[in-house]
Amino acid sequence: MSTPAAEHAPGLASADRTAARARGLTKAYGSGETTVLALDSVDVDIMRGRFTAVMGPSGSGKSTLMHCLAGLDTVSAGQVWLGDTEITGLRERELTRLRRDRIGFMFQSFNLIPTLNALENITLPMNIAGRDPDRTWLDQVVDTLGLRDRLKHRPAQLSGGQQQRVACARALVSRPELIFADEPTGNLDSRAGLEVLGFLREAVDELGQTVVMVTHDPGAAAHSDLVLFLADGRIVDEMHRPTAEAVLERMRLFTGAGSRLPGSPAED
Amino acid sequence: MLKATLRSFLAHKGRLLLSALAVVLSVAFVAGSLIFSDTLGRTFDRLFASTAADVTVRPQEGLAEAVPSGTTATLPAALAGRVADVEGVAAAHVDAEVENLTVVDDENESVSPTTGAPTIGTNWYPTERSPVELTSGHAPRGPGQALLDSETADRADVRIGDTLTVVAPPGSFRVEVVGIVTFTTTNPGAALLFVDTPTAQTKLLGDAKAATGISVEAADGVSDELLKRRVADALGPDAYEYRTAAEQAESDVEQLGGFLDVIKYVMLGFAGVAVLVGVFLIVNTFSMLIAQRTRELGLLRALGADRRQVRRSVLTEALLLGVAGSTLGLAAGIALAAGLIGLMNAIGMNISSAEMVIGWATPVAAYVVGIGVTFVAAYLPARRAAAVSPMAALADAEIAGVGRPLRTRAVVGGVVGAAGVAALAGCAAATETGSAASLLGLGVLLTLVATVIAGPLLVRPVIRVLGAAFPALFGPVGRMSQRNALRNPRRTGATAAALMVGLALVGGMSVASASMTESFDRQIDKTLGADFIVQNGGFMPFPREVTDRVRETPGAGLVVRSRFAPVAVRLPDGDRVETSAVGYDPRLDEVADIRYAQGDTAAALAAGHLAMDADFAREHGVRLGGTVPVEFQGGRTAELTVGALTDMESAEGFGTQGGLFLGLGTLQRYAPGGQDSALYVNAAPGTADDELRADLERTLDPYPQVQVRDIADYKKLVHDQIAVLLYLVYALLGLAIVIAVLGVVNTLALSVVERTREIGLLRAIGLSRRQLRRMIRLESVVIAVFGAVLGLALGLVWGVCMQQVLALQGMTALAVPWGTVVAVVVGAAVVGVVAALLPALRASRMNVLAAVAHE
Repeated sequence: MSTPAAEHAPGLASADRTAARARGLTKAYGSGETTVLALDSVDVDIMRGRFTAVMGPSGSGKSTLMHCLAGLDTVSAGQVWLGDTEITGLRERELTRLRRDRIGFMFQSFNLIPTLNALENITLPMNIAGRDPDRTWLDQVVDTLGLRDRLKHRPAQLSGGQQQRVACARALVSRPELIFADEPTGNLDSRAGLEVLGFLREAVDELGQTVVMVTHDPGAAAHSDLVLFLADGRIVDEMHRPTAEAVLERMRLFTGAGSRLPGSPAED
Repeated sequence: MLKATLRSFLAHKGRLLLSALAVVLSVAFVAGSLIFSDTLGRTFDRLFASTAADVTVRPQEGLAEAVPSGTTATLPAALAGRVADVEGVAAAHVDAEVENLTVVDDENESVSPTTGAPTIGTNWYPTERSPVELTSGHAPRGPGQALLDSETADRADVRIGDTLTVVAPPGSFRVEVVGIVTFTTTNPGAALLFVDTPTAQTKLLGDAKAATGISVEAADGVSDELLKRRVADALGPDAYEYRTAAEQAESDVEQLGGFLDVIKYVMLGFAGVAVLVGVFLIVNTFSMLIAQRTRELGLLRALGADRRQVRRSVLTEALLLGVAGSTLGLAAGIALAAGLIGLMNAIGMNISSAEMVIGWATPVAAYVVGIGVTFVAAYLPARRAAAVSPMAALADAEIAGVGRPLRTRAVVGGVVGAAGVAALAGCAAATETGSAASLLGLGVLLTLVATVIAGPLLVRPVIRVLGAAFPALFGPVGRMSQRNALRNPRRTGATAAALMVGLALVGGMSVASASMTESFDRQIDKTLGADFIVQNGGFMPFPREVTDRVRETPGAGLVVRSRFAPVAVRLPDGDRVETSAVGYDPRLDEVADIRYAQGDTAAALAAGHLAMDADFAREHGVRLGGTVPVEFQGGRTAELTVGALTDMESAEGFGTQGGLFLGLGTLQRYAPGGQDSALYVNAAPGTADDELRADLERTLDPYPQVQVRDIADYKKLVHDQIAVLLYLVYALLGLAIVIAVLGVVNTLALSVVERTREIGLLRAIGLSRRQLRRMIRLESVVIAVFGAVLGLALGLVWGVCMQQVLALQGMTALAVPWGTVVAVVVGAAVVGVVAALLPALRASRMNVLAAVAHE
């Protein structure tokens, strides 16, 4: 059931070039007759220093893939590594630490703790870990994202785009091995969305970060280096150096005559 | 709409659980206390009705005994003969009964009830009306035989053939137990000892010709009323008290009624606290549910429901909650009453739970309280729900209630608070106990209401201070928990208010009792100079025999007796004051230090003289050297000369209005037959205190009811008496805390649900379960401590004002029990931790994915 997913054939990727990989990753919901396979024996390698987009129609399992790679969800079968660490089989406490220290997150909405100001939100993962953020790096991130004059603001006082930039800064500031962004532009107008995508691109190009982004927007996917297409729990195709038009074209093929609109809001 | 309401009620039933519990508790206490007191009342009604003689002749009731004097009023036993001759009398029995005996076994252990219920010695004559029947052995014959009730015999392990010593007012005597009697009715808890009639007269009353009453049995066909009239005519209508069986039963019930009322009021006090605290919980729950359902309510409005329908929908939910809570509460109340009856049985009262009385008033009260409370508590949230605009359905609104200004609360709270403070200031400045107490009550009520209203306003400043160290101590977890507590001041305020009410009560009462204790201590130090005090732990008088034995004890030097007697003084300003006067032996100065405004101890205790409090004298126009007519028990009166006026703090307390005292000789002349209440003993020259104490203890060995105490022991005895009051307050506090904990649990649980996504996010970015639990725990602690600080602050103010009222009674010392205050704050923190257990566990078990997943 191996599926060509990344640049290299499964099993051949060297650990120092992959930020994360999965082998035979299967996630099933329910049991017996009503079992639904969200992920069906997926093999995938996420390359370090690249911007990978995961696309697919609603219910294709793209969010589940991200959750399993990030250690947010348990797997039914298969193995997942983050760098050299196999995370399948890790205990809850170790997973928590792993997320805290080695992974950065951006969600579609509700990214920030409403009681904390922007700066406190940005440094929260490091504070939770009891570490002091690297001041120069923090300053660089804050300035890159243009948040300097917003640091004392509470989330409620920030626009949607600003909130996502704060979330982006939070994901970047601890220099994680991998940043997962789950529909980061889903709730933004196109200008703010473009801005956020620009920052993610910059994070990869200038700061050498690794980003995995789940999206249903071909325009957003076009900012990535590589698009993985998911359908029915399997990776069915990939596209290097994508353009919006090419991605949209490919999506049409998979969804079959537009029976379902890509990215209908009923995701998950 | 009704269907939607029902659905919503059922959907939220988990969240209403704790509110329902608060309703259940309130209703249980109301129903339980009603059932319990009804049952007790019915039981005793039946007991007294079945045991009262057709007609009873008793000595005229004289002066009320504010302080027990140890005398027993008697009438001539020969009256029985005269009564027997009255037409329609079937039989006339002499009653010779003495309460408050002490009965001691071979090892000098008292066999009396440990509950403080009396030991009653009475003459044995079998009648149908007797509450007991002889179940083994034979009737007592002669001075050396007695019967004992089976419950006392079982408890003290006394068997037929054992010998007991009866410590009676005229003197101790030994009896052999020749029979055991068993209660055929409810035993109110007393121990009963029966001897034959001559023995009862001579050994218990000390007079072979005396009786405490005559019980008359009517011949067939003669009504009690008619017989009473005939007996009264024969003996003289005003000479004695005559009662029919019904009247006697009523008077007995009345006597016991005081005790029953106390239980009833204590229980209703509990119910009151439960209701009050429960209201906060319910208000909070409904407010939170409505905040969480803002969009749903908006949708209903958008779909065309009008405000009234929305409001009615919420109130219907409250009604359902009230009905369910009341029903369960009624059941819990029955269980509570059964528990109390069991407790009564454990302390020696025999009441069958099978005879439980549930009057119609009980369920009515239960439902009125339960539904009323929920309805009242849900009314404001319901109005708020109705005010939700249809736009709320569309807006991605933050939780409602956060941003609304607290201006109305500030104004109302400020006005009510100012009025309360004014009342308390008035109380502190008042010079009369009556007006001071009512101002105190008003002030307490108003300041409480003001604090509840203004509580949310105080949340920010107080919690900023309380939680200031949190970020430094607990890092980001501390910071988030502090901010979470500040997030919705209304909610935090209402949650803490429940705890505040209980702790304010405790704060006030503990200041008052600490001040009382301190005042008594100072006064004892100032006035009492005796080496030892011999007295009954319950301040009851003891037989003269004890005094004699103490005097004979080697090493005992000066022994000063003190004896109380009820008196009525007619004062120059026309007032007649009934009070208790104390008689002292001369040389009082050597065991006590009494400050006089005029005169001295010699003049006060001289024959035909008395002393009184200078303020009392001034108030009633009494002057030194003047005479006042004093009426004693039994009708004797004397014109006594005022020999001295005292200047003492708390001269008037505990029923001794006017601070009257006089020479024991004078007292004995007009009120013979009393027993001593205390002996002040000094060691003879050359005798060490320890030695005397040991000797006195040996002397008092056969009298377990009397103990020897030095000044420190005496203080402790006084402290213990005051502490009893505190225990009650602590029990009330316990209940308030239980409900307050429910409130905190409730708030946290609902907050956790509300913050699901936030918690998920925190977990996703690496907050460990333990840190999450700590965050919730700290929030809980800060809320609880906030309530404690507010409550204690309020309580301390109340306590200081209460002390001002006490000061008018002579208790001038002000003491703040800082130890208790600190303990309460620490305890509140513990309460916070406990309350957070379940919500924290629930939050930490939350599925991260479910929490971060999109709506």
